[in-house]
Amino acid sequence: MEMDANETQSKVVVSSSPPGGISLRPMTLSDVDDYMVWATDAEVARFCSWEPCTSREEAIKYITDSVLTHPWLRAICLEDDRPIGYILIMPVDNIRKEIGYVLARKYWGKGFATEAVRLVTAEIFKEMPEVERLEALVDVDNVGSQKVLEKVGFTREGVMRKFIIMKGSVRDMVMFSFLPSDPFK
Amino acid sequence: MPSKETNVQENSKESSSEMEIDSCTLKAMISSPSEKIHLRPMTLSDIDDFMVWATDVNVTRFCTWEPYTSREAGIAFINNFVLPHPWLRAICLDDDYAIGSISVTPVDSIRGEIGYVIGSKYWGKGIATEAVRLVAAEIFKEMPEMERLEALVDVDNVGSQKVLEKVGFVREGVMRKFMCLKGNVRDMVMFSFLPSDSLL
Repeated sequence: MEMDANETQSKVVVSSSPPGGISLRPMTLSDVDDYMVWATDAEVARFCSWEPCTSREEAIKYITDSVLTHPWLRAICLEDDRPIGYILIMPVDNIRKEIGYVLARKYWGKGFATEAVRLVTAEIFKEMPEVERLEALVDVDNVGSQKVLEKVGFTREGVMRKFIIMKGSVRDMVMFSFLPSDPFK
Repeated sequence: MPSKETNVQENSKESSSEMEIDSCTLKAMISSPSEKIHLRPMTLSDIDDFMVWATDVNVTRFCTWEPYTSREAGIAFINNFVLPHPWLRAICLDDDYAIGSISVTPVDSIRGEIGYVIGSKYWGKGIATEAVRLVAAEIFKEMPEMERLEALVDVDNVGSQKVLEKVGFVREGVMRKFMCLKGNVRDMVMFSFLPSDSLL
């Protein structure tokens, strides 16, 4: 997989701890086929705001319009540098950012999301010193994702009832946060 | 301190004995612990009563705004914020003078945030509790698309937390470093009340 020279500058290098190293790098259009593996999967999309992708053209459009333009988004890659998902940081306001992540189903349950969240959380406060709070909102039924955050050391602050409309349903969401002063687990 | 007697503007309010109950005027049908209150739209003629609570640093302590220092600024606030607000009411005692205000502000298509302020002379009498109860009882009829009424209260503002708990709001948790208040990043307690919840 080719990468432009300027993309290597943002590469976050990474962990060799169990379960196996992952690395984070910007996504490119050449990731489209790997992107489609998770983006077409209804199980993966279940708790996401987007519907499963149905064509390569749609995927290319989405990567171009939403992924490449995103202020902070990184492909989660295994040793072969091919993405198995991505992780992103969205601004909420001047002091709050929100973390989100998606992983291909084949790679669930192996600690990859946990490692990616841990890496990003550790880095983000250095990159963005004005951030006082990193938060995550997780559907009450998305237990797997709640466990990821708990394993990293996020604080489960509470269930916000009827908080967000997701695919036409009003959902209860669990609010998590991590502060620059918090310890990692 | 301005006295009520100086508030001699002409207005079209009926005397309290003939108060009409319409969609904008909610009258407490049960007496609150010490004082009976009702809610009505706030107008420019409330400016002097507004200045009583808006200039009080005890009242503004947990508000995002600093105490008002001029009548002109108060008038501007009523014109620019109060009158165009989608849902804001003066909290009044029997004499129909405003002793505070309460509002519901849309957060998004399904969430509204309640906020309230009462003159400090009237604290501790159950007035805020009654005002919040009245709003929680009525607002979902007036805003049927709203699924969630929420409130964010500074962790140190115990009095206001008690108001919400007494009405029956659910304390969902402390959101750490959630909001900037007057230059400080504060922990805030999140409360919510749903249409299906019971008023206490």
